[in-house]
Amino acid sequence: MMAKNQTRRTVLIIFLLVLAVGGIVGYRMYKEQTPDIVNRKPDRSVTASELIAAFDSDTASASKTYMDKIVEVTGTVRSIDTSGTIVLGEPGTEASVSCGIDRRHMKDFAMVKTGSRAVLQGVCAGYEKASGDDLLASLGTTVQLRSAGVKKKN
Amino acid sequence: MMKKQLILALLILTATTIFAQSRFYTRTGKITFSSKAPLEDIEGKNKTVTAVLDATSGAVQFAVQMKGFEFEKQLMQQHFNENYVESDRFPKAEFKGNITNNGDIDYTKDGSYTARIKGKLTIHGVTRDIETTGTIRVDGGKIDASSVFNILCSDYNIRIPAVVKDKVSNSIHISVDCSLEALKG
Repeated sequence: MMAKNQTRRTVLIIFLLVLAVGGIVGYRMYKEQTPDIVNRKPDRSVTASELIAAFDSDTASASKTYMDKIVEVTGTVRSIDTSGTIVLGEPGTEASVSCGIDRRHMKDFAMVKTGSRAVLQGVCAGYEKASGDDLLASLGTTVQLRSAGVKKKN
Repeated sequence: MMKKQLILALLILTATTIFAQSRFYTRTGKITFSSKAPLEDIEGKNKTVTAVLDATSGAVQFAVQMKGFEFEKQLMQQHFNENYVESDRFPKAEFKGNITNNGDIDYTKDGSYTARIKGKLTIHGVTRDIETTGTIRVDGGKIDASSVFNILCSDYNIRIPAVVKDKVSNSIHISVDCSLEALKG
């Protein structure tokens, strides 16, 4: 009788432990913030022109290489929108890399100046390529990064 | 003779200026979607929306990369991309339409105008007609365009898993905010 009770108790304790651990792990996963990847080691490192050229020449292969990857991009700052975006693009072309700035990097705008070189890092989120007589075709190719930030002052 | 030539030159100059400024664009448009529900509030923001507005015809076009939406919670971002909008299969949302009262808007005069917008919205591979209103604020050659409207997940074949059906809202609130600049060239 004693032995049976003890087994029951052990089972109950194990069950409660599993429940508690599961609960903690689940709660942590639920609460986990999206990571700040700006200062992580990049998967790819390119210039803005190279990134645009890759999508211009072969979107399927460029998607494989860059999509969802942490990409470090070096280029000339075309425009700064302090509500959350920095655009890189070389003079003489409309093609651009548009970088959505991570909420924890909103101070980074102070590190860049329109017309000067900068290094940004973010996750490649897609591209918009000129096609046919679309209105958007007048913008040329745009590659988008999300969760981005400025890496260092140039 | 000189006077005629001068007038002609002025005319050509004015015409080119008007032509040059007939299109406005952005690559830094913001679109926020939010959904309030008993289980939790969901909010995602995209800061790299591309858009072009043709002031002459009133035609507008927007393109939004679904993977460009940023969330505070990692799990939310993952569920949004994998389970709801399936961004690997449908990477882009798009709007193509027209400002139906374009004649009421003077893009050369500073002020705030109400724009009625009608067009086709494509999300998750489903295209539907939508009609909404927005505000166009002209300020020193730049344009701020904004609009808020609601869409239903069910209209775009976005399935909400049965387990959370009562807790996640079918109605999504969308807010668009773009600063447009004159397109040169």
